[in-house]
Amino acid sequence: MTITITPAEVWAQLTALVTGGQSALALTSALYLGFFAAAALITYALPRIARPYFLLVASYVYYCYGPANRALLPVLLGATLLTWVCGLIIGKSRRKPVRVAFLVLAVAGCVGILLYYKYWNLFAQAVGGLFGMAGASAPIAPHPDLITPLGLSYFVFAALSYAIDVYRRRCRVELNLLHYAMFVSFFPTMVTGPIERYPHLRPQMEKSRRFSYTRCAGGAFRMLWGYTKKMVIADNLAVYVSLVYATPSTMSGPNLAAATALFALQLYMDFSGCCDIALGAARILGYDLIENFRAPFEATTFSEFWARWHISMTGWFRDYVYFPLGGSRCNLPRHMANLVIVFLVSGLWHGADWRYLMWGLSCGVISVIAKLTLAPRKALWRFNPLYREPAVRVFCQRCVVFVLFCFTLVFFASALYDADPYAVYAGMLRGWDGLAGSWQQVTGLIYDSGIDGRLPVVLVCGTAIVLAAEHNGANVARWVRSQCFVLRWTLYYAAGAAILFFGAFGQSAFIYQNF
Amino acid sequence: MAQQTTLPQAPQRISRSGAVSAPARPRRPVRRRRNPLVWILLGLVRRIYFALKVGIRCLLLLPILVFMVAFSYQVDRSGLFQGDLAPRRIVDLMLEGYDVTNFEQMDERQVVQLFAQDVPETPQVIGVGSSRVLQFNRELIGTDSFFNMGVTGADVRDNMTSYYKMVSYGKAPQVLLWSVDPWVFYGSENAFDDRADAELYSEFLTKVLGVPTDYKEPDKVALWKALAEPAYFQGNVDYYIKNRGQATVTDDDGNTIEFNPVQGDPYDQPTTIKRSDGSVLYDVAFRTQTQDQILSQAAAACETFNSVHMEGFNALDQTQVKAFEAFIDYAHSQGTTVILVLSPWHPYLYNYLVNEPDKHSGFFQVEPWLRQYCHDHNVPLYGSYDPTCIPGLEEMDFFDGLHCKDTGIAKFFPGVPQVLADLEAGTLPDPLSVTPRTTAPQPETADGTDAAPADAAPAA
Repeated sequence: MTITITPAEVWAQLTALVTGGQSALALTSALYLGFFAAAALITYALPRIARPYFLLVASYVYYCYGPANRALLPVLLGATLLTWVCGLIIGKSRRKPVRVAFLVLAVAGCVGILLYYKYWNLFAQAVGGLFGMAGASAPIAPHPDLITPLGLSYFVFAALSYAIDVYRRRCRVELNLLHYAMFVSFFPTMVTGPIERYPHLRPQMEKSRRFSYTRCAGGAFRMLWGYTKKMVIADNLAVYVSLVYATPSTMSGPNLAAATALFALQLYMDFSGCCDIALGAARILGYDLIENFRAPFEATTFSEFWARWHISMTGWFRDYVYFPLGGSRCNLPRHMANLVIVFLVSGLWHGADWRYLMWGLSCGVISVIAKLTLAPRKALWRFNPLYREPAVRVFCQRCVVFVLFCFTLVFFASALYDADPYAVYAGMLRGWDGLAGSWQQVTGLIYDSGIDGRLPVVLVCGTAIVLAAEHNGANVARWVRSQCFVLRWTLYYAAGAAILFFGAFGQSAFIYQNF
Repeated sequence: MAQQTTLPQAPQRISRSGAVSAPARPRRPVRRRRNPLVWILLGLVRRIYFALKVGIRCLLLLPILVFMVAFSYQVDRSGLFQGDLAPRRIVDLMLEGYDVTNFEQMDERQVVQLFAQDVPETPQVIGVGSSRVLQFNRELIGTDSFFNMGVTGADVRDNMTSYYKMVSYGKAPQVLLWSVDPWVFYGSENAFDDRADAELYSEFLTKVLGVPTDYKEPDKVALWKALAEPAYFQGNVDYYIKNRGQATVTDDDGNTIEFNPVQGDPYDQPTTIKRSDGSVLYDVAFRTQTQDQILSQAAAACETFNSVHMEGFNALDQTQVKAFEAFIDYAHSQGTTVILVLSPWHPYLYNYLVNEPDKHSGFFQVEPWLRQYCHDHNVPLYGSYDPTCIPGLEEMDFFDGLHCKDTGIAKFFPGVPQVLADLEAGTLPDPLSVTPRTTAPQPETADGTDAAPADAAPAA
């Protein structure tokens, strides 16, 4: 059969694609790749001075792809203009009251946008509930049709960090509005972060890099690596996890435990995968972004885990919430309270859902307990025969951290899959049938969920390869670039083939895209 | 006298390098003014160099895409490009030279279209028509390069699109053997078969004959996108792994495809089979009916004659006539020789029809018109609807009222090589030399005048 396509047909399809009513340009779609390739091509065709301006235009085009986001463009523009103007006044003014006033304005504006678009409905429901108990009608009503702007949490946090940094004199004020607007709306980081800081990105914008083939090749592999993690591992694991969390009350304990543990892996592969895509894309465009993960499952303590997981977010909360609250340089109760507050806010950042709040609270409580019991635990180490061998000790500590993280993730996964977390916790205790029986239950359901054939082997091997390759935060792309041509291209082909044969297509949404 | 303290002298600058001079100021690098044209050109060259470098590296990834597209196209589990799996299996088997079982379950139209697509070498002769053409086989045609593209219940659309498919794939045959059924000239909806590919016919009318229809170009981009769709590729991989090396093949839904090569003697099969040349070989029981059984089949067909695409067929439809003429011209323009065949009806049935000519007036206009047309245009025409016009044709030369056996066909069709030779030599039989009956003969009365036409069916 011969397929002949006229230019008119191609044009019709292209316009249908561009104006197609999707909510956002999915990172795993061919359209995104095409858009990105075009943006990169034009960027390098332009003189270096013009590149940030073109990227600004590209970022706004990306933002406006979804019809719903087009209507919400003023939110992005508003946050950008507000923080830029406030930053300008804060930076130029020598009078503290003026500086404070405009900082408060910037913070209030950004937090106001965030609260309105993300938490209005939760807040209105809570207020309505309170008034309802008192038998009165609530003064505010929820807006069921309220749409959250694309990447709200990310661009608001980026803009806020700039205003605060200017106030603290950590960052020079930016006079070029367009450069600043590009920082706020930079499209590779728009949907899933990492949350950038202006002092980090500014010099890269002021002097755009020359084209470097090595740099672009490294970025491309980083993207490929991210797609492999997301589409081959995370999306396939999601099949089983979503099945279990869809009806937790009917699932046995081994399946709930396995699904929770696999969800931790899924979340890591999903989120770190999308960060790899963002970092790789930015690298191709000539920008180095903040690394968001550094082998978190190799952490030996719970606090170390948070220094390795979602680094840009935890760093943001550390710098702009934890330290202003006093951090650890205060009395013990205050210090512990600060920890809990930071995790609570972090939980709330993920969404207007009590389960995220509980997730934050549980992380905070575990952190507090970990801090308080650190000294006695260390004292007990010498009595533990396993801990005499450092490798065994590290392994055990990593396992404990992983289990603790999984324990908290029940709330997170329940919020994501709309399940009852307490039903999950309760269900974990039932249905255990020895090691062999429980294993059979888990493998049986995994096969039934559709993960059959060669896929389980691919998932196990793939996860092992990813964790080994990223050992201690190693830069896989750099390592690959240092290999000989044959090995390098074999790896490219292997990653491409893995996506082609085992990637889950059609599940394009990233988990952290929702936040 | 007190000694006066000498004032220290101002330190002297000692220069060890000879001439005293101030240390040299670092010289500002002299910025050479670049020629803007050179600057632009350098930038351009640099960009082109890197674009080429990146492009070449990207080309190295192309084999993955090519493999994906080629594999999806080849396996094509949903039949987007190669047709549905079951008809594809049938065509594959036929092209390998096998006769195929389970004819009754076949989607003959898809088989024909797929054959047109997949046949590697254009057959010299193709046959089109309804089930009444399906007994034409290689032996009767007189050449091995023959494929019978007839389909059960074929209407004018099936006939024309079968040939059009071949042409559209660049496989126009040398000879088109068309067994013309009378309903080809009937323009009513009743003349059409639901199974025919109406879209393809509209395409043919619009694109080839220039007849305006509501035809719209199909969305080929959607097809093209499916070809480059990784999810479709994965489905094809699953399907391929599942069916590779299996004796029984399954379709897209996992159901077994029940079309297999005929085992043993094809003439001794309990079910109807499709021969590798596209003709049909009925099951043994149907082929070995007694004369009474055949007669009863013919008698049964008398009552249902009009219901076979001819309900209300009173006159030739001028649109259909024009379409017919245009089609013949089109085939000629493609370098194809058209041979028309009129497959006879069972004598009992035809006798029945001539006794009620008013009910079949359209039918009785077809053959005379066709004969005149063939005479005027020097188109070879063989056979006749009227079995009495074919010397030696017997009732046992029929399977039933409608379908003539190969033994019957052999009595009026000399084979394609002979027809071509006659055509070249100008010795074709004159179509007008045969006059089919359109009314029952009037029995002569005692006074020499004709009696009224008989209203009863003739005796067997």
